[in-house]
Amino acid sequence: MATGETEREAYVPEDQGGAAAPRTLAEALRARGDEGLAALLRARPDLLAPVPNDLTQLATRAGTRASVVRALERLDRFTLQTAEALAVAPDPAPYPVLLRLMAGDAGDPGVEAALPDAVAVLRDQALVWGGDDRLRLVRTARELLVPSPQHPSPTGLGPTVAEATAGMSPGRLQEILQAVGLPTTHDPVSAVVALTGLFTDRARMDALLDQAPADALGVLDRLVWGPPYGEVTANPTPPVRWLRDRGLLLPTTARTVALPREVALHLRAGRAHRTPEPVPPAVGPAREYRPQVVDSTAAGQAYTTLATAEELLKKWDEGGPAVLRAGGLSVRDLKRTAVLLDVAEPVAAFWLELLYAAGLLASDGEADERYAPTPAYDEWLDLPAARRWARLATAWLTATRTSGLVGGQDAKGRTLSALGPDLDRGAAPEVRRRVLELLAALPPGAAPEPEDVLARLRWERPLRGGAGAGADLRARLATWTLDEAELLGLTGRGALSGHGRALLTGPGEDAAVALLAPLLPEPVDHVLLQADLTAVAPGPLRRPLADALAVLADVESKGGATVYRFTPASVRRALDSGRSAADLHAFLAAHSRTPVPQPLAYLIDDVARRHGHLRVGGASSYVRCDDDAVLGEILADKRSAPLGLRRLAPTVLAAQADPAALLEGLRSLGFAPAAESAEGDVLITRAHARRTPPRTPPAPVPDGPPAPDDTLLKAAVHAIRAGDLASTVARKEPEAAVARADGSLPRTSAAETLATLQAAVLTNSAVWIGYVNADGAASQRVIAPVRVEGGYVTAYDHTADEVRTYPLHRVTGVAELAEE
Amino acid sequence: MNGPLIVQSDKTLLLEVDHERADACRRAIAPFAELERAPEHIHTYRVTPLGLWNARAAGHDAEQVVDALVEFSRYPVPHALLVDVAETMARYGRLTLHKHPVHGLVLATTDRPVLEEVLRSKRIKPLVGERIDPDTVAVHPSERGQIKQTLLKLGWPAEDLAGYVDGEAHRIDLDESGWALRPYQQQAVEGFWHGGSGVVVLPCGAGKTLVGAGAMAKAKATTLILVTNTVSARQWKHELVKRTSLTEDEIGEYSGARKEIRPVTIATYQVLTTRRKGVYPHLELFDSRDWGLIVYDEVHLLPAPVFKFTADLQARRRLGLTATLVREDGRESDVFSLIGPKRFDAPWKEIEAQGYIAPADCVEVRVDLTESERLAYATAEAEEKYRFCATTDTKRRVTEAIVRKFAGQQILVIGQYIDQLDELGEHLGAPVIKGETPNAQREKLFESFRNGEISVLVVSKVANFSIDLPEATVAIQVSGTFGSRQEEAQRLGRVLRPKSDGHQAHFYSVVARDTIDQDFAAHRQRFLAEQGYAYRIMDASELLSEA
Repeated sequence: MATGETEREAYVPEDQGGAAAPRTLAEALRARGDEGLAALLRARPDLLAPVPNDLTQLATRAGTRASVVRALERLDRFTLQTAEALAVAPDPAPYPVLLRLMAGDAGDPGVEAALPDAVAVLRDQALVWGGDDRLRLVRTARELLVPSPQHPSPTGLGPTVAEATAGMSPGRLQEILQAVGLPTTHDPVSAVVALTGLFTDRARMDALLDQAPADALGVLDRLVWGPPYGEVTANPTPPVRWLRDRGLLLPTTARTVALPREVALHLRAGRAHRTPEPVPPAVGPAREYRPQVVDSTAAGQAYTTLATAEELLKKWDEGGPAVLRAGGLSVRDLKRTAVLLDVAEPVAAFWLELLYAAGLLASDGEADERYAPTPAYDEWLDLPAARRWARLATAWLTATRTSGLVGGQDAKGRTLSALGPDLDRGAAPEVRRRVLELLAALPPGAAPEPEDVLARLRWERPLRGGAGAGADLRARLATWTLDEAELLGLTGRGALSGHGRALLTGPGEDAAVALLAPLLPEPVDHVLLQADLTAVAPGPLRRPLADALAVLADVESKGGATVYRFTPASVRRALDSGRSAADLHAFLAAHSRTPVPQPLAYLIDDVARRHGHLRVGGASSYVRCDDDAVLGEILADKRSAPLGLRRLAPTVLAAQADPAALLEGLRSLGFAPAAESAEGDVLITRAHARRTPPRTPPAPVPDGPPAPDDTLLKAAVHAIRAGDLASTVARKEPEAAVARADGSLPRTSAAETLATLQAAVLTNSAVWIGYVNADGAASQRVIAPVRVEGGYVTAYDHTADEVRTYPLHRVTGVAELAEE
Repeated sequence: MNGPLIVQSDKTLLLEVDHERADACRRAIAPFAELERAPEHIHTYRVTPLGLWNARAAGHDAEQVVDALVEFSRYPVPHALLVDVAETMARYGRLTLHKHPVHGLVLATTDRPVLEEVLRSKRIKPLVGERIDPDTVAVHPSERGQIKQTLLKLGWPAEDLAGYVDGEAHRIDLDESGWALRPYQQQAVEGFWHGGSGVVVLPCGAGKTLVGAGAMAKAKATTLILVTNTVSARQWKHELVKRTSLTEDEIGEYSGARKEIRPVTIATYQVLTTRRKGVYPHLELFDSRDWGLIVYDEVHLLPAPVFKFTADLQARRRLGLTATLVREDGRESDVFSLIGPKRFDAPWKEIEAQGYIAPADCVEVRVDLTESERLAYATAEAEEKYRFCATTDTKRRVTEAIVRKFAGQQILVIGQYIDQLDELGEHLGAPVIKGETPNAQREKLFESFRNGEISVLVVSKVANFSIDLPEATVAIQVSGTFGSRQEEAQRLGRVLRPKSDGHQAHFYSVVARDTIDQDFAAHRQRFLAEQGYAYRIMDASELLSEA
């Protein structure tokens, strides 16, 4: 039906608008300046891939379903409401008609103020074209938004009188006219016009409805804001019958009736929407704190972030948990990690994903695949604390991986594991940034109500937060963002911190680092030793000191300070690492602000006294001989030096050389040694800090093509303009006539066929095609293409006098009609 | 940004004691944080749910706690911790127990989902009756204790506002002639009375008995006092007669030896928990009178069955007295729900600073085993090892040396092994008190020790609890039960009682070097250091050559 209408209009010569009024979207685009084109491409970057050849192609592509859906999804609620209103308005609609649909008969200053901008946005995005006197919604958008029984519109409006009476018998129409007191007409078309005229006339409608029984008004009340369809029995109640007789309800099927759009609009005082929302819901300060409090709370959390990262990766230093075959971390390992970090599992998952996204953690890619820190981790460790934080925060901002999904299930019912596949959500970075921008818009120290933030996001992208399975993804992403920003220390007590603001909106990472650095605990170079055998470092320790102390004592408590406990085992560990008791005493004395307590000194001495009482060493081989004089002789021989011999006991020599070399060596000295069985061989292994091969952090998986930058846009606009010039010039040549002369099938290349058909859709013109059906029979047809999509052209076939769909690959060629 | 407090992520608080604002900070955090360790420079407090609920019960709110943390913290306080504090504190008092004119006892809530949640619990179901309205449910009055215990386990501690019965009135007054309650004792009594029921934490020697007497004088009602053993019972009786208007005849002793029920009755845990044929025959004591107050001495030693009886006594005022809330069995939560929240707490050091308990000098003496002892030790069975090293002969010589060094002062020698004690007693020429010593004999010996007739007394583990030896200035510990913290507190308490002449108290423990004795000692001494007593280590040779 919509096709019919537009078709008619397409053939109306454009005389009143003069040369300025564009006939097609392509023409409208052609009339735009370069800036206008760039704005379109910026708003809908999917049109750029690949760069269109000319404006016709650009317009065609802008009209494809996928692209329009994408554009509609990115509209805010008011702009979308405007588009929805246009979809129920006559096409084309003058601006005042649209305004009346949006603001109602009574007017609404808010709507009046916001509407021009909304129309401008729609026009910028090539969803609407034409001047203010002839606003036209592109056809695909109209099809998507127009109400139908299958896809009820958010407006809650039903079909127009014309649509609803399309299948009605002329006699029935005349009865309705009589019932509402209109003179009968000669044909259905004029009857519909008369009825529509009545329904749109406020005064006459009021008069008509004044006669309505109260029950009937009750029925209308139920339908007025939608859904506009109601079920009726074969023998409807008197109020329904009253309404039906007067066309105030029109039958759609045997059992259902619809409230015609015009009637509903009358009852709504002209409004297409119950509540137009021209102004975004405000995100105001719900709680205010002193900015210092916010900053220091956030800094505290930022410090926790760093401590957590280091703790986790240190723990995994010699190889972390195994990678599941399907990828990711097992539930048990996640639990363990949570216990290790003393946090809830979702929080543990967040830290893991954060480190992964920042490229500090990855799978080592070996046969027995495990997680381990990456080489980038070592570089990261060397950065100053504030810089380390900024790296993590930046990685989080742009990551598409969303830890909030961990533990949930994918479409196939499989549990999503941390670090595993299917955690990328393209919308994540955008939502994150948007939420934080909303926070940034508040004065420093002010925290919003999370509900307000969600309401605002829903307003900004109603379609994306709206229906379907991924319904609340944006809302969930936003909630996660608020939580994660708090965990990360971008926000404190719900308000954006100074360093968070700098990172987000301000001069960037360096400024954020400069702001954060003074808030983080200053590294200290001393500890306080106490008689209960603890040492307290009243702040983060400088790295060499921290490392040394970590060997000498066990960490008992972490946080702003670190509490170390000395135990016999920890002291032994230090002695094992090659330090002597004297070293330890000196070390403690040098780094303690307080005198070394006597019990600690005793502890070290006690352990040292027993340390090394038993000796263990490594040797590759040995020499045994009952005669110690022979062994003495071997040792005295200078040539035995390379064998690394050492006397352990009068009758035993230990050697560093392996048994074969030792045998060889001793033989060369003139002895006749015999080999013994290899028992007692000591193999020395040393554990190495385990690292993955170099790894790049996972690239964000965005939801669509990246936003084009200005250079690209400029180039693209130039290319399109040039292509357009070429194609419009070429078009003047009457190439189509050739095909018709001998009555044979028109032949054009596939690309040309496609382009011509698409152009025909845009201009609503009919074309002549050659077509080979499934049986191989060739025919020529005149068609008016309605839609070209997915390899099919849907068209009104003038030859068959009905709408048909043809596969493009069966179309041999296209030619324009001669009678122009 | 230069406060004295460092907040750790494991919810411990580190307080730098030398900081100029340390005192203010200590006062601010004391209501909700338990002092865990008090060594010389940095004290460690721990924030636990029980501590936070104690603070709530004392009328502090989450905002105060958060403010205290933020105010004194040197570094930014992790947000998660603040949130956790607020959430934990908000859990207390959502549920309250009330008296109801029709249903007797009811559980009411200000937050309906919480009530729904707990009612869904299997453990709560048998304890409650009908639902009176959406926010109230009837509770069987006999389950008042049980439900509080269970709710605490579910993490929703109930505030008990159901009040107490007055009990049978009985006139009790403090007889403050020549002495007066110390300010902190006064505060403890007030804190308890205001709260209704609860626990008063005071160090050994700080006069817990007087807090009990003060509470009785407030209640002016018949009182049941539960103590650990007979000696302690007599001690209480003695004190009460001396300090209050009560006479000998008004105070009954209910123990293995005597079964008197008087307006004030002192019973031992032991007799109450005696079981015959599966029943506790002495339980009727609880119902024998309409008690107005029940006093639990040494709450941290309260045996498990007593908890069970206590659950049925929730309508009576209960006062718990203890030196430490730490229980070796981890049943702190039962103390909280059945006896009541902490009502008063004063750390040892503070009371010591006020001059009410004597400062102590703690010394560990390391003795070397002889070669033959070492060999015997090395080859001994695992369960025998401790005995071998704890009873080494060298210890005897060291003990003698110490006794010689402090000749003329009142000295206690404390040990675990009877043979060792007997032998020591023989060598030192001192009487030995052990499990088999009859009570009469014990009291006679204690009396002569108090008089100064005997200056050295050798006691076994039985003497550890609730006896009062005011004139002991030196304690020598030669062996102990496997490193119990509690025992350490008790032993230190022995010598920490106020001294008439301001003598410094000495606490020696004699330990065999390089043995498990030393490991156990390390555990116990850690406790001492944590309590703030810097201890010294000496070598036996040093001490022996000194002497």
